[in-house]
Amino acid sequence: MLTVIVTGLAIGMLYASIALVYNVMFSTSKVLSVTTGHLSMVGGVFGAYIISVLHMHWLWGLLGAVLAGATFGWLTDVLAIRRVLARSDEHLWLLSTLALATMVQQGVGLWWGTEPKPFPRLITQEFGAGLMDQKFWLPIGMAIVMTIGLEFFYRKTMYGKVFIAMSEDAFAARARGVSTDKIRLLSYVLSGALGGLAGFAAGQLTFAFFALGHTLTLLGFIALAVGGLGSNIGALIGGAALGLLNSFASYYFGGEYQQTIAVGLLMVVLLIKPEGLLGAKNVRPV
Amino acid sequence: MNSQTTKTLSLLVGAILIAALPFWAGDQYQLHLAALIAVYWILIAGLNLVVGFTGQLSIGHVGLLSIGSYTFAILAGKMGIDPTLSVFVSGLLGGLCGLALGLPSLRLPGFYFAMATMAFSMIVNEIVLAQVDLTGGGIGLPGPMFPKPFDSPIGFYYLVTAIALFVTWLTWNIARRMWGRAFISIRDNPVAAQAVGVPVFKAKLLAFVFSGITAGVSGALFASLQSYITPDTFVFELSMFFFVCIIIGGRGSIIGPFLGTVVLTALPELVSPLAKLGNFFYGLLLLVVVLVVPEGIGRMFEIISERLRPRTVHREPITPDLNRLAKALKVRE
Amino acid sequence: MLRLTKLAVRLSLATALVVSATSTIAADTIKIGWLSSLTGALSSAAIAENQGVQLAVDEINKSGGILGRQIELLTRDTAGDPTKAVNFAQQLAFSDKVHFVIGPVNSGEGLAAVPILARAGVPNLVIGAIDELIDPEKYPRAFRVINTNRQWISTANDYAIKVLKKSKVAVIADTSGYGTASAKTAIELLEKAGVKPVYTVLVDNNKTDLTDEMNKARAAGADVVMPWTAATGMLGRLLNARGEIGWNVPVVGHPAIMAAQIRQLLNKPEYWQNAYAAGYVSTTFGSNGKLPERTQQLVDKIRPKLGGGEIDILFWWVAMGYDTVKIIEHAIKTAGSTDAAALQKVLENTRDYKGVYATYTWTTTERNGFPDSNMAVNQANTFKDGSFKLAPR
Repeated sequence: MLTVIVTGLAIGMLYASIALVYNVMFSTSKVLSVTTGHLSMVGGVFGAYIISVLHMHWLWGLLGAVLAGATFGWLTDVLAIRRVLARSDEHLWLLSTLALATMVQQGVGLWWGTEPKPFPRLITQEFGAGLMDQKFWLPIGMAIVMTIGLEFFYRKTMYGKVFIAMSEDAFAARARGVSTDKIRLLSYVLSGALGGLAGFAAGQLTFAFFALGHTLTLLGFIALAVGGLGSNIGALIGGAALGLLNSFASYYFGGEYQQTIAVGLLMVVLLIKPEGLLGAKNVRPV
Repeated sequence: MNSQTTKTLSLLVGAILIAALPFWAGDQYQLHLAALIAVYWILIAGLNLVVGFTGQLSIGHVGLLSIGSYTFAILAGKMGIDPTLSVFVSGLLGGLCGLALGLPSLRLPGFYFAMATMAFSMIVNEIVLAQVDLTGGGIGLPGPMFPKPFDSPIGFYYLVTAIALFVTWLTWNIARRMWGRAFISIRDNPVAAQAVGVPVFKAKLLAFVFSGITAGVSGALFASLQSYITPDTFVFELSMFFFVCIIIGGRGSIIGPFLGTVVLTALPELVSPLAKLGNFFYGLLLLVVVLVVPEGIGRMFEIISERLRPRTVHREPITPDLNRLAKALKVRE
Repeated sequence: MLRLTKLAVRLSLATALVVSATSTIAADTIKIGWLSSLTGALSSAAIAENQGVQLAVDEINKSGGILGRQIELLTRDTAGDPTKAVNFAQQLAFSDKVHFVIGPVNSGEGLAAVPILARAGVPNLVIGAIDELIDPEKYPRAFRVINTNRQWISTANDYAIKVLKKSKVAVIADTSGYGTASAKTAIELLEKAGVKPVYTVLVDNNKTDLTDEMNKARAAGADVVMPWTAATGMLGRLLNARGEIGWNVPVVGHPAIMAAQIRQLLNKPEYWQNAYAAGYVSTTFGSNGKLPERTQQLVDKIRPKLGGGEIDILFWWVAMGYDTVKIIEHAIKTAGSTDAAALQKVLENTRDYKGVYATYTWTTTERNGFPDSNMAVNQANTFKDGSFKLAPR
């Protein structure tokens, strides 16, 4: 029973980290990018590549994963978001991020291969460690560290406050001299780095697998929607809820209906409380 | 020859080519491809109303295709029910599932809706794999053939082409009349549309259910054409494919997505090495079109033709009759 | 003057001969279609089989071709997609008008493409294992080269029940076409042998952890675990789970259990112990430590093409690919033509044709050519140079 809870929490924290990434991206651009799940996938794959194939120390792997994620985040902004936001057509960014996500997924698939490959051990530990195994507490720890880090970033640093300013009212921020384009780029790079980090931490749970992207985008989004768009604590709660639900459902009903149950949760929450558990109430369109 | 007659003439030529295709096609393989294009187009024509006209970005339509295919394979194959009836039932079931999916999801904002449809297609895949007794699970089911005269490749081609033409006529009628205008207004500015009195939710739902019906019918014909269906066929990348056909063809038109479908289906067959890069290529194409010509390649042709043959703007210089003007001003005083 | 004319005549004759010779070769090749999933799922098998196929084609072409005609190999990468397999099968049959088709590799693709080829009357060498791919009535020109899935399963079952003397079986398969079919067949064959499985489960082969399933199997009292999946990733995770929960139960099942890739997927090399898989006599080291003669010959021939060093793929894939082309050569040579009906007759009357991978026999009512006697059980962690040691009896 404890195994079920711990496994659920661990995978749930990965979803929570992705929800955090969504939050960072959304705060400055009001865009929910389809590439979010792929950031984690890239982090996991590059980490595995650097450590297993190039045989370097895991710190290099971590750096590589973060850099890969940050580059991908930067690419997302430059290619998919920047030109598209300028046009008035609202949903174009969905298309462009979807296109970029597909390209990256296929590109990684062609390079890395289509089978899930094992993610290397980061810290030497016996495999029989059971519940204390690092593949469980790494993602949990990472999500908590990320949340605390983000809270610190938003409250104490200048850039964090500028992010909040942009998320409240981009026009006013620009009027006050904030270079919104540069800040948006920074937020995408940051979100990419965070995504890569999350994927690296959870690599032992998910394996380095190219097709993770779309699944993580969807499940990270469900965590976000349940917890509420814009709230980091909500992201943690949503992720934990989703992960635990998945884990219990798999244990009692078998793994065949995993996605169905996850989406069921989403639908229930969206029907009862559309803005999520801790989300900000939507302002009326007019 | 003005643009109206050119349009009608090119449509007529196109119609003749399509009708006579089995004779100039060359071999059965190309006939098979043509039939595949027609089957895809039945789904895409319906999806076009949702994505191209109403602007609802549904990326999970492969789920509805899957439902249509399996319904047909189970009814006409396993249970031996008349195939024509089974096609109808597949269409109906597709429409019902479209309704079931659309009711909760269409109220959600864009990204949420897209994710909901993506999740829907994943759920359909899971259920198909899990219900082994019904769907054969991973093994799949054979796709039954239609009774004479549609069981030969040429006969089947005419069947799907006839249905495709009918569906095209339907969508064309919807698009150019009241509902079409309503859809476009919702896509461009939902707030203004609501303000003018367009029943936004009802319109979205109508388009979605219609696309469900066409997807169901398309699925049934697809199962028969492929002669065997497995869950491996109905992957998310197929949804992407439908989506890209519409976007590169140009939203808001019917001929654009049709040309998009023809090009994208035929391309991997003509350029076999492209097969490996297939999905990467679709993503790249989508990205390029979205960044450079979001209105679709149709628009690009328009731009090029304008460049080559600019419409001459007739300039009529206006010389005011000053005396008359002065008199008119004096009268006012 | 006369000398010049003579030279001119000779030159023109020579040119005419060369031209006619080349044009004969170009126009009169024997076309073999090869539907291979070189990318996508199960690509490792397809790539290995491709090596065998290419070697055989090159070998035959170098020695003059079949009946004086060169072989033209048309390879189509189906990428594991049944729709592509159907399209390419149509293309090969109607557009390219090939004389023979080898493949497809995947069961899902095979189920879709074999009926199409049968409808077109093109002779087809089937290399997918699931039973539904062969039917002498529906697909009269489809002949299976690989063993049937039933043979794998019954060989493994025999070993588990008769040699290891186990009676409480846990069957774990994946959710693919192959997995679902195999689980059904495995249960049926076990029940025929008087054993009812204590635990059965179908798992998505991308599921990252099989500890749950192994725990449930242990709780159900299983004393042998029989996995039926070709996905090495899933098998690696299964063996890891077995090791991590400290359960020393024997694992007997699909040949992929012995695949070299499993080595890297295991958390500890010991986890590969106490694992056995259905295999072949042709790729088993004898008690003298040597491979059967024909296998060794092919190994030596193909080693330079595979990089020259130790072979790290399952060699039976290569051997099977090689055999398919040799079978085609045998059929065309014996029939004396490429007429499809004649080829069908020749293959129907083939008895004990000695290939590398196996010795094949087909009849008018039996289209599965692999004999039961060529099956063996190997020990998983004895992989060396593509082949294995026999499992202890």
